[in-house]
Amino acid sequence: MDLQIALLLGQDGVVNGAIYALLALALVLVFAVTRVIFIPQGEFVAYGALTLVSVQAGKVPGTLWLLLGAGLVVAAIDIALALRVGNRRRLPAIVGWNLVLPGAVAGALYGLDLAQLPMALQVVLALAVVVPLGPMVYRLAYQPLAEASVLVLLIISVAVHFALVGLGLFFFGAEGSRTPAFSDASFQLGTLNVNGQTLWVLGASFALIVALYAFFGRTLYGKALRATAINRVGARLMGISTTLAGKLSFALAALIGAFSGILIAPITTVYYDTGFLVGLKGFVGAIIGGLVSYPLAAAGALLVGLLESFSSFWASAFKEVIVFTLIIPVLLWRSLTSHHVEEEE
Amino acid sequence: MKLKSLLAALFSIAAVSAAQADINVGVVLSATGPAASLGIPEKNTFALMPTTVAGQKINYIVLDDASDTTTAVKNTRKLISEDKVDVIIGSTITPNSLAMIDVVAEAETPMISMAASARIVDPMDAKRAWVFKTPQNDVQMSTAIVEHMTNGNVKTVGFIGFSDAYGEGWWQEFSKIAELRKIKVVASERYNRTDTSVTGQVLKLMSANPDAILIAGSGTPAALPQKTLKEKGYKGKIYQTHGVANNDFLRVGGKDVEGTLLPAGPVLVAAQLPDSNPIKKVALDYISKYEAAYGAGSVSTFGAHAWDAGLLLQNAIPAALKKAQPGTKEFRKALRDALEGTKDVIGAHGVFTMSPMDHLGLDQRARVMVRIENGKWVLQK
Amino acid sequence: MRYLKLVLLALLLAAPMVLPAFYVTLLNYIGLYALVALGLVLMTGVGGITSFGQAAFVGLGAYTTAYLSTAFGLSPWINLVIGLGLTALVALFLGLITLRLSGHYLPLGTIAWGISLYFLFGNLGFLGGHTGLTGVPVLEVLGLRLEKGEEFYYLVWLVLLGAMLATQNLLDSREGRAIRALKGGSLMAEAMGVNTTRSKTVIFLIAALLACLSGWLYAHLQRFVNPTPFSLGIGIEYLFMAVVGGAAHVWGALVGAGLITVLKQWLQDLLPKIFGQSGNFEVIVFGVMMILVLQRAREGLWPILLKLLPAAAHPHAVPAGEPLPKREAPAPGTVLLEVKNARKEFGGLVANNNMSLSVKAGEVLALIGPNGAGKSTMFNVISGVLPLTSGEVRFLGERVDGLPSRQIARRGMGRTFQHVRLLPTMTVLENVALGAHLRGHKGVLAAALRLDREEEARLLAEAARQLERVGLGQHLFDEAGSLALGQQRILEIARALCSDPCLLLLDEPAAGLRYLEKQALA
Repeated sequence: MDLQIALLLGQDGVVNGAIYALLALALVLVFAVTRVIFIPQGEFVAYGALTLVSVQAGKVPGTLWLLLGAGLVVAAIDIALALRVGNRRRLPAIVGWNLVLPGAVAGALYGLDLAQLPMALQVVLALAVVVPLGPMVYRLAYQPLAEASVLVLLIISVAVHFALVGLGLFFFGAEGSRTPAFSDASFQLGTLNVNGQTLWVLGASFALIVALYAFFGRTLYGKALRATAINRVGARLMGISTTLAGKLSFALAALIGAFSGILIAPITTVYYDTGFLVGLKGFVGAIIGGLVSYPLAAAGALLVGLLESFSSFWASAFKEVIVFTLIIPVLLWRSLTSHHVEEEE
Repeated sequence: MKLKSLLAALFSIAAVSAAQADINVGVVLSATGPAASLGIPEKNTFALMPTTVAGQKINYIVLDDASDTTTAVKNTRKLISEDKVDVIIGSTITPNSLAMIDVVAEAETPMISMAASARIVDPMDAKRAWVFKTPQNDVQMSTAIVEHMTNGNVKTVGFIGFSDAYGEGWWQEFSKIAELRKIKVVASERYNRTDTSVTGQVLKLMSANPDAILIAGSGTPAALPQKTLKEKGYKGKIYQTHGVANNDFLRVGGKDVEGTLLPAGPVLVAAQLPDSNPIKKVALDYISKYEAAYGAGSVSTFGAHAWDAGLLLQNAIPAALKKAQPGTKEFRKALRDALEGTKDVIGAHGVFTMSPMDHLGLDQRARVMVRIENGKWVLQK
Repeated sequence: MRYLKLVLLALLLAAPMVLPAFYVTLLNYIGLYALVALGLVLMTGVGGITSFGQAAFVGLGAYTTAYLSTAFGLSPWINLVIGLGLTALVALFLGLITLRLSGHYLPLGTIAWGISLYFLFGNLGFLGGHTGLTGVPVLEVLGLRLEKGEEFYYLVWLVLLGAMLATQNLLDSREGRAIRALKGGSLMAEAMGVNTTRSKTVIFLIAALLACLSGWLYAHLQRFVNPTPFSLGIGIEYLFMAVVGGAAHVWGALVGAGLITVLKQWLQDLLPKIFGQSGNFEVIVFGVMMILVLQRAREGLWPILLKLLPAAAHPHAVPAGEPLPKREAPAPGTVLLEVKNARKEFGGLVANNNMSLSVKAGEVLALIGPNGAGKSTMFNVISGVLPLTSGEVRFLGERVDGLPSRQIARRGMGRTFQHVRLLPTMTVLENVALGAHLRGHKGVLAAALRLDREEEARLLAEAARQLERVGLGQHLFDEAGSLALGQQRILEIARALCSDPCLLLLDEPAAGLRYLEKQALA
């Protein structure tokens, strides 16, 4: 292995690591706020990428039907609940988020000449289809169990993952797809040839991380989420709705997931089931960060990316063995350095 | 007690439906899971098959095994004991087919596999006597590639394949034949179907500097190594396997897969075959039926393996009907014998002539070399 | 209840004769899955260790016998022994590493080795690689070839019922109480002398061995082995079964395995009739149904089924047994406890500043002070729950600071906690019997085989005696969580007494009690 190869591998590892880092951040966020280990995170990656593929092909994506259907179910349940407790003031919000918004998205998808739109608009449309699914999934699957144990929530996650993968196969078929690159530019960095998409991935990841940082540090909603993460009961006593916090964190997670998918779609082929392993590696990164620290989670994800890249060079058949086995000492170190508190389950 | 009477009732319904003496064909395929891109066209193909042969009604009972061996075996047992099938077709992938052999042999039910490995019908023994298959063996396809390589003066070759039974089967056969023909395999790498990056493997391949590289993957995932090779500036020849022979591969691969060489069943380039080739008519017939049902350009060579299995059956059923009634042990035995006696049956992938020692029965006509030119499959003469 | 069991058993025996062959096949798979899920019930539901990696242990069992019998022609029974041994080694090694992981690191650790082992199976050439190993021989029992599903059925269910019985026995024993204390009561259990690390390892090992056994059966039922049945996805499914059935109940494993297997089969038949196309919808409907099941029944289905059954007549007799041997009481006046310059700092906060005290046998010493004075900290330091910053603690003349709390308990120090620490779903009697943990010696195997009954009776009798002594005699078989706070405090005292201590530390025994309760306590 010469320096050139090492540099290329390093570049590859960093790009993959950046994606894992984004997913790791979303996983940390969701876990901290709702105690849900969000295994279906990976499905949002695939949904985001493949929805964009459909839009670019000028077709109405199958995920739209999921959005409309889920919106309908959520609206039905919430309206029934609101009427039962006589809280009519909530009705406009329920109808707006679950019926009007998906309806508007559907209108746009049917009304516009999708294939001819500028790419940025196509991306926005794809996100508009996928991101609202996040809070809807939270409402339908997790909210009734918000106080259950981490284990039960985890099993719910697995069930949601099964359902979403099955739907993905139904919507998008078994074959994969790619999207055109955001830019065809490439740069010469010393001996290293860096293409434009790579920079896009790194830049967008960095920008998202900064944006999240600002969101949590500067905005009221961000602070509310942090408060919920630190102490659920306390936050509720302060008037922060844990339901709102849950939905908000799921919306963010869906946004990050779908956007990651859109970022990687030009550099790799995305399949309906791509998400699981990608999400799992993001999860490994998140765990290295102890599921609480954002910078550490990002660093952990980068480590996973690099490890993967170099082991695929040295022993490709055993790549997963190496990546997942080397994680164990890291876990051990984490668990020895973090102080042991008895869990209350 | 209620449950038991209910089960007994179900049982008797199953028995009654079998007594009508339709021919029941059980199908096990991988319509979900990692092998879904192979299994789905196969599933679609069964919907096109004739529902009567020689005046007998045929029922196709299609079950999905999710690319999992346990489920494949469970489904096979179910088809045999619940649906009383006369023959099993499946499964899509090699491990599942291997796992099903014991079950069909125990129940003395013939089985036609749609998976590639020669291990399914070789070495022939008492159990495999019940097992047939339609896809070309990896050996046949490997030989075609190696021949093409020797003719093209390729001395060194790099290999990158799926980290599953498909890649493994190719590696075993290809490395053996390459060594025999004095082609040196300088690197062998693996990757996963859903990997997002194969940069590491590609760099390893390129640092060995081979004259040609063989990518052993199926469907669109096989495009990723090739795109990465192009991106990193690899200039040598690139070979793919017949696993990529569907239009999705061309769609995803785009201009990066131009000039790719691969062996394939003749069905892939049916229109370009000379009119004298008997396969042409059968293959075109299949293609037109499939595309009429599922849209232009939707056909894949995997569906044609299922079609060929159907053709073998249609040829064997009349002979078996002369000996026994469907639904009986004797009929299954007669069907097995008739399948083994298959002679010059023309399928979409080749001409089948079976024998007690050869339960595949394809010859050199079952493969052609194909090159991708201007986003089309072009037959190499 | 008894009749119900007999009827069930008769049905099980008759099943292969009356059921269509395919139902027997399904029952075989249910049995195999339930065996793995049973391990998870013990480990996850009871012990609180979540594992996603059980499928890898199933794979170890299956691959060991498949490889040894095809490559060397060894008898499957020898392979079973080798497989169990190998699994035990691997599990001990993995347990050594992963069981140290705390909280959420542990499940991830199991994912990590679950995936690693799966890819190892697939990439080792001699194990047949991804394609698999064919020709695994038929199992023979006493000269009978178990070739057909109906024959195999009896072996599978014999093994499963045996394992369930043994697990139930184990949970209803001294070691079982220690295991049941792992989830949510580790700190208290340690103070009662339980080696919780050992208990964790034991259940991890048992779960791995059960999985290995299931794999061994699988290999000889299927007679073909390849990596896909041992992937992470299947590992998750096993956990699924345990949780859906009821992770805290031995029977939950069977209910979960049965329900999920049958449900999948049923969906496979039903959905094509609704949607006209088979294949894609099963997993979607399956996922949605699982979510609904858990939303309606968080604890799984077994507790719900239990409510439908006629209430079981629990053996409510007070156990009779010989009194346990007592510790030799130190002569009155000997110095029991001596604390010299004990100092405990939490970061910059000094909770105990160079405290010294001593207690003699027969003496009652009270430690008083306002809230936050560091009384409980002092108790925690003495009993080994917290490490000392500086100074020394001597108990019966021996230095004990730095020892884990279970070692100090072994030397005869009993304690209660300021905030009541008991296991709310266990009975009062069982909670108190936990205090006598160190006065029994029978191990896991003896418990599983019911060879511990005599000792068990003595332990329970002792617990009952202490409960009578503190006036909770009429509550022996109530759930501890149903007692009033005052009674719970008294229960803790009975538990501490049960260990036959020579020194009793009562941490704010009267806190939060009403006047009458305080009088009763006094």
